[in-house]
Amino acid sequence: MTGLQEVSHRHEGELEAAVPKGKPILELRGLQKNYGAVQALKPATITFLSGEIHAIVGENGAGKSTLIKLLTGVIPRTDGEVFWQGEPVLLASPNEAIARGINAVHQEVVLCPHLSVAANMFLGDEMNRRGVMRKRAMTDAAQGVLDDLGFNLPADATLGSLTIGQQQLVATARAAMRGTRFLIFDEPTAYLTRQESAQLFRLIRRLQSEGVTIVYISHRLEEVFELADRVSVLRDGTHVGTRAISETNEAELIALMINRTIEQIYHKEQFALGETIVETRGLSGPGFSDISLSVRAGEIVGLYGLIGAGRSEFALGLYGRHPLAAGAVYWQGRKVEIDNERKAMELGIALAPESRRDQGLCLNLPIGLNINLPVFRRLTRGLTINRAEEAANADRQIRDLQIKTPSRRVLASAMSGGNQQKIVIGRWLSHGAKLFIFDEPTVGVDVGTKAEIYRLFARLLEKGAGIILISSYLPEVYELADRLHVFRQGRLVASHDYRAASHEDVLAQAINA
Amino acid sequence: MSVETVESSAGPTPKRGVSILFGLTLLGLLVVLWLLLGLATSAFWTPNNISNLLRQGAMTAILAVGQTFVIITAGIDLSVGAVVGFTSVIVAWLLAAGVPLWLALVATLAIGVLIGVFHAFGIVRMGLPPFIITLATLTSLRGIGLLITNGSTISITNEAFTNFSRADFLGVPSLFWMVIVVAVPAYVFLHLSRFGRYLFAVGSNSEAARLSGVNVNRTIYLAYILSSTCAAFVGLLLASRIGIGNATQAEGWELQAIASSVIGGTSLFGAVGSVHGPLLGAFILATINNGANLLNVNSFWQRIITGLLIIVIVYFDQLRRRGSR
Repeated sequence: MTGLQEVSHRHEGELEAAVPKGKPILELRGLQKNYGAVQALKPATITFLSGEIHAIVGENGAGKSTLIKLLTGVIPRTDGEVFWQGEPVLLASPNEAIARGINAVHQEVVLCPHLSVAANMFLGDEMNRRGVMRKRAMTDAAQGVLDDLGFNLPADATLGSLTIGQQQLVATARAAMRGTRFLIFDEPTAYLTRQESAQLFRLIRRLQSEGVTIVYISHRLEEVFELADRVSVLRDGTHVGTRAISETNEAELIALMINRTIEQIYHKEQFALGETIVETRGLSGPGFSDISLSVRAGEIVGLYGLIGAGRSEFALGLYGRHPLAAGAVYWQGRKVEIDNERKAMELGIALAPESRRDQGLCLNLPIGLNINLPVFRRLTRGLTINRAEEAANADRQIRDLQIKTPSRRVLASAMSGGNQQKIVIGRWLSHGAKLFIFDEPTVGVDVGTKAEIYRLFARLLEKGAGIILISSYLPEVYELADRLHVFRQGRLVASHDYRAASHEDVLAQAINA
Repeated sequence: MSVETVESSAGPTPKRGVSILFGLTLLGLLVVLWLLLGLATSAFWTPNNISNLLRQGAMTAILAVGQTFVIITAGIDLSVGAVVGFTSVIVAWLLAAGVPLWLALVATLAIGVLIGVFHAFGIVRMGLPPFIITLATLTSLRGIGLLITNGSTISITNEAFTNFSRADFLGVPSLFWMVIVVAVPAYVFLHLSRFGRYLFAVGSNSEAARLSGVNVNRTIYLAYILSSTCAAFVGLLLASRIGIGNATQAEGWELQAIASSVIGGTSLFGAVGSVHGPLLGAFILATINNGANLLNVNSFWQRIITGLLIIVIVYFDQLRRRGSR
């Protein structure tokens, strides 16, 4: 504890003293964090080498966020040591971490959407002359950095006018500009298109080539194999291993993460296909045009495409959220007009929408209310709700779906991504729907919960339901869909039977003609 | 039913429990205020003063209940004070024109309904923020009321009507009974019926509610109609109490109603609120005003104390919420 005060005065000099590539830059020795009796991170010993891209994978709740918060000085550690360039450091505050050159880029961009790109890049560190901001100088400097990084972005544009992916790039450029030596990415591609992801990857490699050490946290193992040099796996707060990427494979990582094999995750059962539940003919609306497809009982129909290709828009159109411009919907052979969500519901369509936060959940309300939302009419006796049935229905879904909560009265916001997704799904299970639309059901969901969701699909199919599965994650739709439709720019451009086309073909069809 | 037993022992955030605790805290505060005032002035615990206090609080309480429905949907109704003044004019005008009492009452309440419909139409169909549309009716309704009365007041000569506010039933002022007449169905509506659940869902995330099959537009209509109708009802009570219709009456009552609601635990961000909270909030405010009058505190000070009280209570409520997270 003796060197702490002098360390805090020395960080300027330390930034300059580069550690040779391949030597330890940051070492964790028995680092741990307890919240009361809960061990969020059990004693972890991990070494990060200078100039490497080090991936960290694990299910939700494995301790990844806790680790980031410890390294960026957001929370204090319970025990253990951290060595930065060979010297013990406290990392007692975000300022200390930033001053040493440790920065993080978060999944959701935490910048000011109403300010310009340049203003955001200099936020908190503005150029001044006698207390007056040098706006022009900052814009020029920011533009220089953006151009140098090869981003085609105007520095004077309002940040909020950019896509999420572009904002992510700005956040990264901001970190790069500030003499960062050690940069942590927390699931940066969760909301990015494929092109944006590729651009981000190029930037990450460039930062690496300039000697920056990268920590890359992701749910997507294919990204880890594309990008990382080494990978560390966390499970239930325990560091279960670190591997060189060249000496491991997806199967081993998954086994480390969840003690389960890959075949057990994509749980595919074939069911005898029944009658056609829904058929669209030339359906057009905002963001999609001329979509003709059908779903039969016992069938998963996959819709694959990039974000913005019109899949979610088609789903919302079919669900009556937006007015249709042309085309017709046939429900069990009968022509129907679905002009609002309640009509879709009454027919027997259930929708688990793309964004849990914006479209799926009432976050500051209890889990029970979220689950019962579509069925309150059925739970009503006379004027009032039957409280016993209300409780029983919520508790049944919590039990059946293994939603990890002590009570239905806990707020939905307190749940992890996987459990929140289960709430959105559970809402529809007691409703008796025939057609389930799942829009990106596994984004931000850990591998274990993914497997549970896929098994649930099989249960629904077994009962004679049909499923429309929308995903930007190709292996998911590829492995699960009986029929796979590819969307591009609002149109249905190709259709394949189960595993009839190669990954590469499907990908090519989604990206260009 | 094994789930129930697990739950009662292990719930970290049993929301209902906390809400009861908060209600009891407010009730405790009210009782403490009454005891202190009883010690400080002999005039407080007199039947006359208590009746007066209950009458004072009754009208704010009814307004606050209506206001709470709107605030739970993450909206606001700034017009309620103006609606009170306006409807007092309407009922006085109708009675002066010789309209039968029952019809005058029904017609006045119907105007309250229409005002609510207008608010919801502006919000749902025209896309106006609730703050703006209700601010617009706040000023317009006072103007229309002044046009009708030509800037003066209309006296009410119907004795049956004016006697009502002075009457007692079972020793309790009839105005206070009206609080119960409003609060009991309001409680059933908000806490026991599905429409109450819908109000919370719309206030929390209207898109999620819509995609779950909740008729969001209808829910918003319902909230604003209830608020305006409560205000029209208070307009009738006020006209009965002061015996005149006057468009400038009830100035600033919308702020009293919002303050009562917030003191009672309603969140201005929506999706948090109850019926009993605003009632207690209204009577806490009424007690402070009543006590200040008895203690000869300058009425200007009353406003300052009310402002400070809002800050203190809402601050403690915030602390409580943060703590329970």
